[in-house]
Amino acid sequence: MAPSSSSGLTFKLHPLVIVNISDHYTRVKTQFNPPPSLCATENASNNGEAMLQPNPRVYGCVIGVQRGRTVEIFNSFELLFDPSTDTLDRSFLEKKQELYKKVFPDFYVLGWYSTGSDAEESDMLIHKALMDINESPVYVLLNPAINHAQKDLPVTIYESELHVIDGIPQLIFAHTSYTIETVEAERISVDHVAHLKPSDGGSAATQLAAHLTGIHSAIKMLNSRIRVLHQYLAAMDKGDIPCDNSLLRQVSSLLRRLPAMESERFQDNFLMEYNDKLLVTYLAMITNCTSTMNEMVDKFNTAYDRNSRRGGRTAFM
Amino acid sequence: MTSTMEGVIKSIQGLSSTSGDLSSLHRLLKGAEETLRSESDLQISTLDQLDASKHSLGYLYLLDALTCGPMSKEQAFDVVVLIARFIDSCDAEQIRLASDKFVSLCKRFKEKVLELRDSLRGVAPLLTAVRKVQVSTKRLTALHPDCLQLCLQAKCYKAGFSILSDDILEVDQPRDFYLYCYYGGMICIGQKKFQKALELLYNVVTAPMHSVNAIALEAYKKYILVTLIYSGHFSISLPKCASTPAQRSFKTWCIPYTEVGNCFNEGKIRELEAVVVANSSDFEKDNNLGLVKQAVSSLYKRNILRLTQKYLTLSLQDIANMVQLANAKEAEMHVLQMIQDGQIHALINQKDGMVRFLEDPEQYKTSEMIEVMDSVIQRTIKLSKNLIAMDESLSCDPLYLGKVGRERQRYDFGDDFDTVPQKFSM
Repeated sequence: MAPSSSSGLTFKLHPLVIVNISDHYTRVKTQFNPPPSLCATENASNNGEAMLQPNPRVYGCVIGVQRGRTVEIFNSFELLFDPSTDTLDRSFLEKKQELYKKVFPDFYVLGWYSTGSDAEESDMLIHKALMDINESPVYVLLNPAINHAQKDLPVTIYESELHVIDGIPQLIFAHTSYTIETVEAERISVDHVAHLKPSDGGSAATQLAAHLTGIHSAIKMLNSRIRVLHQYLAAMDKGDIPCDNSLLRQVSSLLRRLPAMESERFQDNFLMEYNDKLLVTYLAMITNCTSTMNEMVDKFNTAYDRNSRRGGRTAFM
Repeated sequence: MTSTMEGVIKSIQGLSSTSGDLSSLHRLLKGAEETLRSESDLQISTLDQLDASKHSLGYLYLLDALTCGPMSKEQAFDVVVLIARFIDSCDAEQIRLASDKFVSLCKRFKEKVLELRDSLRGVAPLLTAVRKVQVSTKRLTALHPDCLQLCLQAKCYKAGFSILSDDILEVDQPRDFYLYCYYGGMICIGQKKFQKALELLYNVVTAPMHSVNAIALEAYKKYILVTLIYSGHFSISLPKCASTPAQRSFKTWCIPYTEVGNCFNEGKIRELEAVVVANSSDFEKDNNLGLVKQAVSSLYKRNILRLTQKYLTLSLQDIANMVQLANAKEAEMHVLQMIQDGQIHALINQKDGMVRFLEDPEQYKTSEMIEVMDSVIQRTIKLSKNLIAMDESLSCDPLYLGKVGRERQRYDFGDDFDTVPQKFSM
């Protein structure tokens, strides 16, 4: 529905905004749709108050800096939505804006955000209402549906453009491309969030598993990229693709940076380390077996020992 | 009374398809067993009406009825051929329904084969029989020792060894275990796989027994000799886990062997040979003379091995003197043999007759090592799974729980702990 924008502005989105929006959405969803165990007790009393629609929409405001043609969205905060008038609570917005101005004097309101799968007509009203703070606000839309096949972020940024449709100049949403920009601190927190595990991530086994999984996925990606290069070179060799010497030069310099795996010393060291790891695993397995056997023999002796300990002292006390 | 015969045959032919039919057929055959035995009409030719692979259960019962009585030599020969063909073509599923009948049939087969002194004929059928009766490769059946006995008689050790390479984890009847381990140990000795022979014989020697078991006694004699050959060391006492009757009485029955062992420990060849000659009649009675001679020759090996631990280089003449060999040539042959077997690592310099002893050159750097390690780790993983399963089943054992609960009751920690019930109503 929305064509791409032609305003020529470059948008930079910080991950903090995405985390904030998703956090807001998750909080609202869990607070209004409590988990079934709590629901069972409450359902009897307030049956009239049915659960809100399965995907509640949340609203908020995004703030940041605009320098020349670059719009950088740094932060966001939540806003109250008034369903009766279909507008955002204005006084609340201004109060929050003043508070943020005190801490971040550079930031000002750049637009607003919401959740959903696509932009709707009613959003235009909110958009127009914000136009008096910022002449061309942005609309950040987060799609909370989890789609495992999708590789990109489910975040779209819309701008408003004036188009003439049927002779009437109308404002419509046009989506723009954006890039993700991170500061060092944000990178650490995003990494942390990405690796959250449901159990305690502190035990050595899960940390090792997480570490190895990370290495494994990194190597897999490297392998697929090299495979793409390989196919490209093979096609070029066969003649399907015209030879591009500059590209070939780039590929050769890239390949020279890859570690060399064919030398004999490498094989030696690699095999020796591999064998060492196998030996350690073997030792661990044997220790495991021995301890199981020890426990089993203890149990066997307790159960089937003919000379039972009568009145004897055990190690317990 | 051919009518009952025909009736039985018809029901066999009709009811051999599905498992429901098979169980009803089984009941029918069990009921008709007595009449079948007394049936005079039952001949080998009546079996031609049945197909061994499809009607295995019925075939089995008829065969059993045929062979239960005494028979002449020609009949025995025919029966042997018939049973061999049956074992090859029968259906394993149907056989397992009447496994003890099958086992007794095979035992009779083995006896006939031994009577005819043609053990080689019986090896292959019994091998297939063992595989068919086994529910899984980890289970020991009653046929294992018979099969191994035939292999020993026929001297085809390799066939027997193929059965031994399965790890046994479950046993049908503990009685079979003694014979299985004893024969298995003998087969391994024949194949010169002394380590496996040692394991099997050790199992027999330390098996629990109330009174001295003849099989275990024979096994103990061989066990002493194999320890001398393999590890070069003899300890007079049995391992601690051996049963008390064994520990008390074995030594009195094996005096010549313990003498050989003690002599071996001291390492003097001449005295050892003297002891051997003195007791050779005993050794021959037990059929162990061959093993004893191997033990004597292994004394040389053991002495040379001890030299590698003391010296870095040695001349061949010195080796011959220390080990009491005749001359340097024999010493060279011995050392060469040991290097080929992989027992020592050394370099022989033929110019000046010096031998240099080296360390184990295994660096654990090769990819073959990886495969060895991998297979060993896989085996350990399987073993660990079995151990955990056994541990869990023991934890649920009511005997164990009863005893643990009884002990816990003494230390009353207030009302926090529930006391374990003393008796379990099953």
